[in-house]
Amino acid sequence: MSTVSTPQVSGLSDTPRRPGEAAAAWEWVAPALVGIALLAWLLSMGIFVLTPLAELPRYFVHRYFVLDATSLLFVVLINTVFLGISVYLFSRQRTSAVLAQDMLPRSVLSLVFMLVLNLGVMSNNLLMLWAFIEASTLCAAPLVARGDASAPRRVAWRYMLYSSMSLAITFLGFMCLTQSAYVRGVAISFDLDLLGLALSSTPDSWQRLGLALMLFGLGSKIGLAPLYGWLPETYEAAPTSTSALLAAAQFNISVVAIFRVLQVFHGHDAGFASQELLLMGYLSLIVAAIQVMATRNYKRLIAYACVSSSGVIAIGLSVGKAAAYGVVLYVVSNAFVKALLFLTAGRLRAVYGTNEVAPLSGVIRVLPFSGFLFAIGIFALLGFPPFASFLAEMLILSGIVQAGNLMAFTLMCSMLTIIFVATGRSVFPMLWGPSNRNGPPVMESILTTLPKLGFVGILVMLGAYTPGSVSQLLLSVAESIGGR
Amino acid sequence: MHTPLILFLIATVVPVFFGKIQSSPLWLCLQALALGWNTITLHGEPSLHSLGAGLEIIAVRAWLVPLLLRRSLARHTQAHLDLMPSNLFAWGVAIALIILAFKFGDGSRSDGRALMLGVIAATVMIALLILSTNDAPPAQLVALLFMENALALFESLMPEPWPLPTHAVLSALYFLTFAVGNWLVGSHAPPALADPEQMKEIP
Repeated sequence: MSTVSTPQVSGLSDTPRRPGEAAAAWEWVAPALVGIALLAWLLSMGIFVLTPLAELPRYFVHRYFVLDATSLLFVVLINTVFLGISVYLFSRQRTSAVLAQDMLPRSVLSLVFMLVLNLGVMSNNLLMLWAFIEASTLCAAPLVARGDASAPRRVAWRYMLYSSMSLAITFLGFMCLTQSAYVRGVAISFDLDLLGLALSSTPDSWQRLGLALMLFGLGSKIGLAPLYGWLPETYEAAPTSTSALLAAAQFNISVVAIFRVLQVFHGHDAGFASQELLLMGYLSLIVAAIQVMATRNYKRLIAYACVSSSGVIAIGLSVGKAAAYGVVLYVVSNAFVKALLFLTAGRLRAVYGTNEVAPLSGVIRVLPFSGFLFAIGIFALLGFPPFASFLAEMLILSGIVQAGNLMAFTLMCSMLTIIFVATGRSVFPMLWGPSNRNGPPVMESILTTLPKLGFVGILVMLGAYTPGSVSQLLLSVAESIGGR
Repeated sequence: MHTPLILFLIATVVPVFFGKIQSSPLWLCLQALALGWNTITLHGEPSLHSLGAGLEIIAVRAWLVPLLLRRSLARHTQAHLDLMPSNLFAWGVAIALIILAFKFGDGSRSDGRALMLGVIAATVMIALLILSTNDAPPAQLVALLFMENALALFESLMPEPWPLPTHAVLSALYFLTFAVGNWLVGSHAPPALADPEQMKEIP
């Protein structure tokens, strides 16, 4: 039986750091990052606590930005996730020399990335939101390129290309809407509160094409099939903290954009949007199920789970009405599940030096905390109680049944079962199999596990008991996208 | 109003059929000059707003980025390749896409608007075609910049010109796309060295 040295060196981020080594000049960076993340989180929570929902929406900076239920929910969400990721980076920087040296550029890029996301989420104009999504991609690409894959810059370039193509398709959608308004002799503004006025309740082909292209482009940004190819490759090659940022924070700005489109088109051609989302959702679930069966790499497995989550979201959105609350809850829980899984995967990667499942066995004995948290993350991912994802999936399925779409119900249940079995087949032996390491378990600092424990706490809280104010906020967002 | 659009179209179409990657800064510069001209003259007499927007477009898109791109391509081993592979099939597809793009604009009521829609759609289509036919990263970067220029031309379709901060944001995005893309592309090894097995043999 082979032994695993701890930590095993095989990449950029995991060179062990000796006492007094390297980067003393940059020691302040990680605490500063945590401080700023904490400040942003406190600010977002302060706004959430102090702003009554009845007083929303509030416009500011010449109506360029808006604080409504959707922006409030996502501002709180992405800042909470970012706080956890920054604490994780702080803890890892203390044990990894390479990360310590790379901390300054990584922190600066992460902060700019988060600033862009926050502004994008609050943007009151679709064109501005589009520009912020593009800007977030430009911030994320150098972060992806800092990974330790064989050609990280090549992967980052492909990520940027896919993103640009998706956004170009979205932009073509804007162009079609403009043309539709022009043909009907109506002035068009892309402000969220004014765009609806330029839409026709008896849509012409330009308007339909515009809606189709926007949903297709934005759907590709959240990893919906068929343009999902960038997602597994990028999430696998990027450093785990970046994968967590992409899956739990950037994913949400694209979700916000889709929500905005649905809010604007509420009552205009909802059936057409539903059909497109349903089709993309079906495709994504099928693709994810096949790929999860084939993959033997735990980071890639999480990435394909992201594709399947996007499929569930798309199907839920297509149903709307009773499923809408479930979709919003699913999106929120999805962010914490992905952050938890990627950060834990980062710890596994640091110890074992590989993303492959095969060399890992008995992880729970080698890394009791991380193994346990990874198991919890997998259960939350698969929609087990008492996590929020269980409640959300039940609500979505119930909404689908109420809508009478038995085909969607059957397909979603079948694909989720396949994903469950395939994930279990790969991950459970990795966690509970015979240990391939002699010696005592690896000790983990409380700081490394703290953010993950926080994510687990939130997931359990949302699944078992959702506080009234949070529930009200989720409900407001659900109503804005056609829920009832 | 038509002349800058036709110039923009020429600067998009010619390099696809006859241009090398290393000549693309010139065509990007021409596109941007046409774009700036169009911005300045779009809403009748040039105003302070349109002059500011036009000059900013010319400074960033016609001067700064093409200049930096030219310097970068001078060091790149793939710069001598065609922007789009020269074969009859690719040419046929390109011509078909350009015709389709102009059909796309036919639904509009005025000729000027149809031309504008056609030019934007043709540029986006050409950019997507370059992306799908050429796997040389510098060509893909040029395609992205083509696409960004097409999106900037979109302003012409709006009833009101965009405010100057919006122009500044779009130009910043254009520059950042170039800067990040150039950093990622510039470090790519040529295909012959990209194979990890071969890379192991390099001391």
